[in-house]
Amino acid sequence: MSIFNKIIELSNQIASSILKHEKPKELLDSDLFTDSDKKYILEHLTDEKLIKRAALLKQIDKKEAWSEIESKIEVPVRKLSIWKYSAAAAIVIMASTIYFSKDQWSHKEQIKVVATKSVINPGTDKAILVLASGEEVALGKGSSYNATGVHSNGTEIIYGNTNSNKESTVYNYLTIPRGGQFFIKLADGTKVWLNSDSKLKFPVNFVDGAPRQVELVYGEAYFDVSPSTEHKGSHFNVLTSNQNIEVLGTEFNVRAYQDTPIIYTTLVEGKVNLSGSFQTTILKPGQQSVLDNHNIRVASVDVFNEVSWKEGIFSFQEMPLKEIMKVLERWYDIKIIFKNKAIENNTFNGILDKNQKIEEILNIISNTNKIPYEINQKTVIFK
Amino acid sequence: MGVKILTLKEYKSVFNTLYPSLCLFSNKYIENLDVSKDIVQEVFIKVWEDRIEFQDDSAIKSYLYTSVKNRSLDYLKSKRYKETFSIGDTDIGQIETDPFFFREVVISETSVIIEKAVNTLPAKCAQIIKLSIKGLSNTEISEELGISLNTIKTQKKIAYKRLKPLLKDCFFIIAFVFEIRN
Repeated sequence: MSIFNKIIELSNQIASSILKHEKPKELLDSDLFTDSDKKYILEHLTDEKLIKRAALLKQIDKKEAWSEIESKIEVPVRKLSIWKYSAAAAIVIMASTIYFSKDQWSHKEQIKVVATKSVINPGTDKAILVLASGEEVALGKGSSYNATGVHSNGTEIIYGNTNSNKESTVYNYLTIPRGGQFFIKLADGTKVWLNSDSKLKFPVNFVDGAPRQVELVYGEAYFDVSPSTEHKGSHFNVLTSNQNIEVLGTEFNVRAYQDTPIIYTTLVEGKVNLSGSFQTTILKPGQQSVLDNHNIRVASVDVFNEVSWKEGIFSFQEMPLKEIMKVLERWYDIKIIFKNKAIENNTFNGILDKNQKIEEILNIISNTNKIPYEINQKTVIFK
Repeated sequence: MGVKILTLKEYKSVFNTLYPSLCLFSNKYIENLDVSKDIVQEVFIKVWEDRIEFQDDSAIKSYLYTSVKNRSLDYLKSKRYKETFSIGDTDIGQIETDPFFFREVVISETSVIIEKAVNTLPAKCAQIIKLSIKGLSNTEISEELGISLNTIKTQKKIAYKRLKPLLKDCFFIIAFVFEIRN
């Protein structure tokens, strides 16, 4: 590790100690600095100094400075707007301009590069709604859907509480493809965020007083359940292949993908009761159950890591590369191959924006861990 | 793998993350904030115009801090040269050393991480952590804010949980986090 890397890492450790109000032992043990320099550093990181710094920072106008830079660097104004609009969809490989000398780097060339579309894009809001009649409706950005008691603007679908024939229950399905995510509000007011590669079966309306039941056929979903007290005490049940979650009004996340027999249930708030062909289990907030066939284990977890996906973030903590890649496979709709099996179980920490290009994420992993990769169409290969 | 040139988006993100602290860093050398701003701007323009290649975030930081340091020292030397010969070289000799450079980088980087980490917390958490950094005990914070000891303990727990992934081994990702939360 270069001395500069060490300096940056040390800064990070000192910041961590200060935030936790602990002794910065990494600095005190470090051989990068003399004792008097260590003392100097700590004296300049006191609250008083940080406040002074904040006051100085106020005199620095980032926006103004950026627009000055923008006016001075060689970026045609039109190119900027192209950047803005194509940033999400098009991949802009500046690296390829390496081959153009400065003089050749004309406006025209630039557009050509910008227009190159990547095969791999981040996921978007999309889903397929299957009605009781079997009719399929594609939902996505720019396509709205309206029917009695239900409407969708293309990024979410809302069911109203209509009074219908209480004799029979009508079910709809919502299927989220790989590379998709969707939000649904059920007729009882329960909110459900569905992750990529997931399927939910739900009734189009509920009867107060009777149990409310939905089924996560497969995939991952975050439930914010409308309280039983608002529905004459009706419990809410979430079925998965071999687990029933009984809810009294609460927030939780369920992950039950088909590529693994394990079901993860994480409780954020409230109380849930898990049952099935295993010992009935009650979860408390902050706990996660891991159901593997007929064995259930409960442990406390960092809830933020489990539910961040619905906030547009991937948060990984001590997660094996293999598991991280499963998540990315679903979101970017790609296939990942490990030629180098040795790295599969290397663990990583990190928080990533779900809207960034896959290359940005892969470069971080590749650069910091010397793991080369290659992209071939929709396949990523770790060599 | 290998080196790459920054895209405009990345370039702007680096600018937003590092411009203010680099200005303060330069100011440590030359004690003139306006000139510092000019120096940092020149360094950033050079990165773009010369399409300098970087291997990772750390390399970007190393390049920027080193360039700003060199330009700041050049400025000092030229100014002293023009104005007077009477000031000895002792002062400049001391600030030209690596320990001075590393010390200032640590102070700058640490301050940025603390400021940004605190800013990502929910308001109540942030207030408690700020008071805690100030050296106040839980009891004192409880008196200051008029909230129960238990609430403070819970809020601190939430704060550390949220900060933990930010602070552990993943300095290279921090820039993204701040971009999306701010």
